[in-house]
Amino acid sequence: MSGIFKQPGAFAITPHKVSVCILLKIYAPPAQISLPFPFSSVAHHNRLGLFLLSLTKSCDDILEPKLDELIHQLRMMSQNWMSTWIIDQLMTRLSSLSSPDDLFNFFIDIRGILGGPDSGAIEDDQIILDLNSNLGIFLRRCVLAFNLLSFEGVCHLLTNIGIYCKEEFSNCPPYEAPSLDDSSSNLETYSEYENMDLENFVYEKVSEEIEARKEANERIPFHLHVPNTLLSLVDDIDVPVDSAASKQSEKVRVASPYGDPSSNMLRDDDPSGAVFLRTNWQVQGYLQEQADIIEKNGGAVSLNGFEIVLRQLRKLAPELHRVHFLSYLNSLSHDDYIAALENLHCYFDYSAGTEGLDFVPPAGSNSFGRYEVALLCLGMMHFHFGHPKLALEVLTEAVRVSQQQSNDTCLAYTLAAISNLLFENGISSTARLIGSSYSLFTSIGISLSVQQQLFVLLRGSLKRAESLKLKRLVASNHLAMAKFDLTHVQRPLLSFGPKASMKLSTCPVNVCKELRLSSHLISDFCNESSAMTIDGAFSTAWLRNLPKPTGSLLLCPENGSGSSSNVSQFCAQPTSIPGSVMQVLGSSYLLRATAWELYGSTPLARINALVHATCFADASSSSDTALAYVKLIQHLAVFKGYKEAFSALKIAEEKFLSVSKSQILLLKLQLLHDHALHRGHLKLAQKLCDELGVLASPVTGVDMNLKTEASLRHARTLLAANQFREAAAVAHSLFCMCYKYNLQVENASVLLLLAEIHKKSGNAVLGLPYALASLSFCQSFNLDLLKASATLTLAELWLSLGSSHATRALNLVHGAFPMILGHGGLELRSRAYIVEAKCYLSDTNFSVFENYEIVIDSLRQASDELQLLEFHELAAEAFYLMAMVYDKLGQLEKREEAAASFQKHILALQNNKNEDDPLVGVL
Amino acid sequence: MSSKESCRSELRIAIRQLSDRCLYTASKWAAEQLVGIEQDPAKFTPSNTRFQRGSSSIRRKYRTHEIAATPIAGVSYVATPVMEEDELVDGDFYLLAKSYFDCREYKRAAHVLRDQTGRKSVFLRCYALYLAGEKRKEEEMIELEGPLGKSDSVNRELVSLERELSMLCKNGTIDPFGLYLYGLVLKQKGSENLARTVLVESVNSYPWNWNAWTELRSLCSTIDILNTVNLNSHWMKDFFLASAYQELRMHNESLSKYEYLLGTFGNSNYIQAQIAKAQYSLREFDQVEALFEELMRSDPYRVEDMDMYSNVLYAKESFSALSYLAHRVFMTDKYRPESCCIIGNYYSLKGQHEKSVMYFRRALKLNKNYLSAWTLMGHEFVEMKNTPAAVDAYRRAVDVDPCDYRAWYGLGQAYEMMGMPFYALHYFQKSVFLQPNDSRLWIAMAQCYETEQLRMLDEAIKCYKRAAACNDREAIALYQLAKLHAELGHPEEAASYYKKDLERMEDEEREGPNMVEALLYLARYYKLQDRFEEAEVYCTRLLDYSGPERETAKSLLRGMRSSQSSLPSMDVERFPP
Repeated sequence: MSGIFKQPGAFAITPHKVSVCILLKIYAPPAQISLPFPFSSVAHHNRLGLFLLSLTKSCDDILEPKLDELIHQLRMMSQNWMSTWIIDQLMTRLSSLSSPDDLFNFFIDIRGILGGPDSGAIEDDQIILDLNSNLGIFLRRCVLAFNLLSFEGVCHLLTNIGIYCKEEFSNCPPYEAPSLDDSSSNLETYSEYENMDLENFVYEKVSEEIEARKEANERIPFHLHVPNTLLSLVDDIDVPVDSAASKQSEKVRVASPYGDPSSNMLRDDDPSGAVFLRTNWQVQGYLQEQADIIEKNGGAVSLNGFEIVLRQLRKLAPELHRVHFLSYLNSLSHDDYIAALENLHCYFDYSAGTEGLDFVPPAGSNSFGRYEVALLCLGMMHFHFGHPKLALEVLTEAVRVSQQQSNDTCLAYTLAAISNLLFENGISSTARLIGSSYSLFTSIGISLSVQQQLFVLLRGSLKRAESLKLKRLVASNHLAMAKFDLTHVQRPLLSFGPKASMKLSTCPVNVCKELRLSSHLISDFCNESSAMTIDGAFSTAWLRNLPKPTGSLLLCPENGSGSSSNVSQFCAQPTSIPGSVMQVLGSSYLLRATAWELYGSTPLARINALVHATCFADASSSSDTALAYVKLIQHLAVFKGYKEAFSALKIAEEKFLSVSKSQILLLKLQLLHDHALHRGHLKLAQKLCDELGVLASPVTGVDMNLKTEASLRHARTLLAANQFREAAAVAHSLFCMCYKYNLQVENASVLLLLAEIHKKSGNAVLGLPYALASLSFCQSFNLDLLKASATLTLAELWLSLGSSHATRALNLVHGAFPMILGHGGLELRSRAYIVEAKCYLSDTNFSVFENYEIVIDSLRQASDELQLLEFHELAAEAFYLMAMVYDKLGQLEKREEAAASFQKHILALQNNKNEDDPLVGVL
Repeated sequence: MSSKESCRSELRIAIRQLSDRCLYTASKWAAEQLVGIEQDPAKFTPSNTRFQRGSSSIRRKYRTHEIAATPIAGVSYVATPVMEEDELVDGDFYLLAKSYFDCREYKRAAHVLRDQTGRKSVFLRCYALYLAGEKRKEEEMIELEGPLGKSDSVNRELVSLERELSMLCKNGTIDPFGLYLYGLVLKQKGSENLARTVLVESVNSYPWNWNAWTELRSLCSTIDILNTVNLNSHWMKDFFLASAYQELRMHNESLSKYEYLLGTFGNSNYIQAQIAKAQYSLREFDQVEALFEELMRSDPYRVEDMDMYSNVLYAKESFSALSYLAHRVFMTDKYRPESCCIIGNYYSLKGQHEKSVMYFRRALKLNKNYLSAWTLMGHEFVEMKNTPAAVDAYRRAVDVDPCDYRAWYGLGQAYEMMGMPFYALHYFQKSVFLQPNDSRLWIAMAQCYETEQLRMLDEAIKCYKRAAACNDREAIALYQLAKLHAELGHPEEAASYYKKDLERMEDEEREGPNMVEALLYLARYYKLQDRFEEAEVYCTRLLDYSGPERETAKSLLRGMRSSQSSLPSMDVERFPP
């Protein structure tokens, strides 16, 4: 950040700063031994010091506080007579400044409270301001700025102090003259009626939309894709201002729905209310904070409200180009493509990429500017808006330019961005584009698949980041590597001869190893250039917490460091780890959860998701948090049944109303579909399936995962409707697609589905090879849970070949049991029990009369769990088998009971058409 | 159009009224038009002869237009009665205030008039206050320059002025001049719609105040707004429309309006300069030069609009004329942004870019929103290979006027120079959008697509096609189209474009390597198509040139002869007698 403060005189003296100087003088009167007059204890004295420090550092707004705000804060700081005395002093001293000469004397006076350069020689309890302390520097800068002022400047300062005081005096009685006056004249000039009408119109539309949503919620919640702009408008109107908003911006926000920003601006410009920017440092800190908020949760910042603040800032400080960048971020987070594009270009045209970015350029000025950063940002923007081709084009150019400019940092980031892009959009056609540009591929001279290119890219960027010591990038590259490992078989890139070993690294242990590398890096993260934001954020939070009644306890020496009431407050402070690092760390946990999920260890997956949801919820982006919730809810559905899952889903939906709608929506559709399939509501299932297909439509860019998910579910629905041929056809084409795009994990489950289809259609012999293929896939990718499920299917297939294979099937089931019982969900477990029972029953060597408990036990287990799931078909089967067993045993009463349950489930399965689904209604 | 005589008398009264109210710019403009009205040759007095310039060739040219343009059917002008002055004898206080005003002591003037109630006095007081506020604003702008650039200071009189004027407006005691001032205040406060209504009212009741028209023009930023403005027909409206069209870049419409106006105001320097401006935008440099030469002769101390003349001279590379112009404006008034700009242009033509930048900077110091200086400075920085500075300058030009296609084009060029063709495309697209009929822009964009890094040849072809469609003077597009098609393996298209290019070169009697290339390609192409006669024609033409192509042509000819002789029967079949 050091590059920004170069201009001379970047520090302007303002009335507010004069007030702070007066307070400083009260804080440290010259030549005073021990405690100065109004303070009763050292604690109180320190508290004022802390307050002043916060005033100079806080960055919760762009404008300096007015006098009444300052007085309000002073009152908040301590409630006793002391604060009244201080305020009195402040007011009298301010109003005694009536001519330029008073100002000159004041500043000469002020110089006296600074200690000399040899301040070490002074006794301990004398109060002086160290020349090099924060407050000392502040004071020195004030004095310097005053000395640099021209006479006109001094006159302006004097007038402004007059206005500053007058406002306070006139504001003390209920707001009268100026504000009333203002509003009346504004009303007269209110010519922007069209504008207002439009706003009202939009507002009406929004409320209509909300109405519609309410209505729809009573029915099936289809087509609730509320456009984002409307949602953000809702934000503008009724979402309570989030914690970062300060008083001033609150005012702006309240005003914004009425849609006339120009009149708003004018009010600010009114001669009666002179406005002053805070120091450059504070404004930058404010912008930084806003950028963080936008990054974390773009929906929380209202588009228009923030834009108004930015416009004001642009007017007050036209040379602060960073504002354009913030405005780019703002429009990006609200999906305003055109504005985002404009602002991005504008920012880089002005600043040449040399202002206010996190990665500070290496020493030595580069006259060229750093336009490659512009390309990088543009590429990311296109990526965000779902234009992968454009993004790739731009990023390719970024690679070239950064190579030309030998900007290795940017190159590393660009490579990471490209690999991210390739990862998200596994488009085979991109191969050519990137291949032609990145010299590595052309020098090798062979054509590589996208996956291989991706791997090379990842490696390259990791190496680069490591050598450049870009710790954050290294961490996220490790994450990307782990992600890659999760979904791809890692082959040696260039295999020489047949013996080249095939090393697999989808094992979660490997993934975690990769992940640990990244979190290890984070733990020894040294704070690079982040001190500023932490300081600023701390001060902001401190000031904001002033009104809390705990104030008097704060920092009392008697209490020591353990002043308990403030512990929570300090914990809530950002620790020394900046937000971005926390975010990377958080996503590593998510990734871990995914790894374990694929591997099949649900408890571990759940733990990791839980860790993310509890520890990183406020640090990570809302989409990450939503993902963690999604994982937890899925887990609930599999292990606790749908009722609990749906109630959890409701909570999640409320929490993530505006953001990452698609993820939650997807989950909802998935759950509803599963539920419908289990209950045999095939029509509904088909409808939900179609809805999923709409989500996967290529309008917003193709999401391969979504697409496979949709067709997988389609095949499953067809299978449930006993349309075997169609189901098989869909599954086949799906398999082809997965194979083409190297979606290995999906391959395994599609093969398993094919085996199921053949099993159900009675072609056990045809099903066997599919099941075996799926098994081998699972083995090579360490997909243990899926493997267990495939084994189960295999057992069923063997069983249906005749009773002679029953032992073999039983052995298979028993082999899979540890995995299934340890990690499997309700459905899988009950299926296993039923298969086991069937095996026993069809085994000719098995005598029911001797060991019927084994069979009945497993069947009871199965039926209990299936009832939780409302899986009518399987439950009916379980009860049927139970009835048969009881029949053989001759226990008629129990037989009747089981038969009745059987009948109930069969009827439920058949009569579902006229029955309303209570759960759908709930949603 | 109302008769020249009535125009004349209207203007005479208006000039007095305007200068009574110290609206000097407007009265200057009106006086220029008054003198610009052509005398009837029958009754001109000897003292008027020096304004007669009927001898010049340009004048004669416009005479012919005059006949065609004059009768516009269906326009009947409302004769606006010239306003009566309410105070026949000016009060003493008014006289004192006006003298203060003329000495630019605005606050004093306002103070003197504090209790006067006559309309003229009220207007003068308000206007003086307004100007005092403006002056203070300008001063504060410099005094209060913040660490991060100039802070926007405001005219502190606006609030009280607005209150007073709106009160007057409500009472109905406001006159057209008061309305003009009210419009001005409203515009500065940002309520544009109301300002527009007020200004329309003002010009409808008193059309001779050119200041009001100018303010109104700046509020009509789109053609739709312009069409909704409800104006009485008056000959002043034609002036307004002409300049509004020009502002909206409807140059042909504006040109025809001006030519029509020339029928009455045949000697107006103002109209002549405006016509030159429109012609400049249409890139008719020769005409512009002639017009300005004429203007220089009749009005040698003119500085307004002369920067455009210097641009034309720059484009035509006439060193001496440019230096003469620079010298003249320098002697007239060196602290005008236009003068600085002209000197900057001169140094640029000389290749002394540092000095040139210095003068452009000076021009910008005098007027921060001086658009062409920003753009020209950008060009200078490009010449000096200081691309970041160039980008900055161009971007500021764009911020002053987002419709300035030259600055967008400059931005594109700068980025292309830095090897970022894809990034540059965004800017070229912007500029092409604003000026779709300029072949140079299309060609620049096509070249961008064609660069080694992008190789998006299909897009390049599309751009070249557009360029060829809009009168490509340098004849780059056709040649490039032919080459690209040849490269992409579309021989038919390539041949047809080569042929077109060849025809064009023949028309313009140009020779060069392109000619040889076209001939060679066509010869080969026709030979491959077995159309030997055409091929032979091109080959023989090639024989006129020296170099390796000549040998190739020879061998081609030889090859054709041998194949013809070996297959005589085929030949007969193909060309039956």
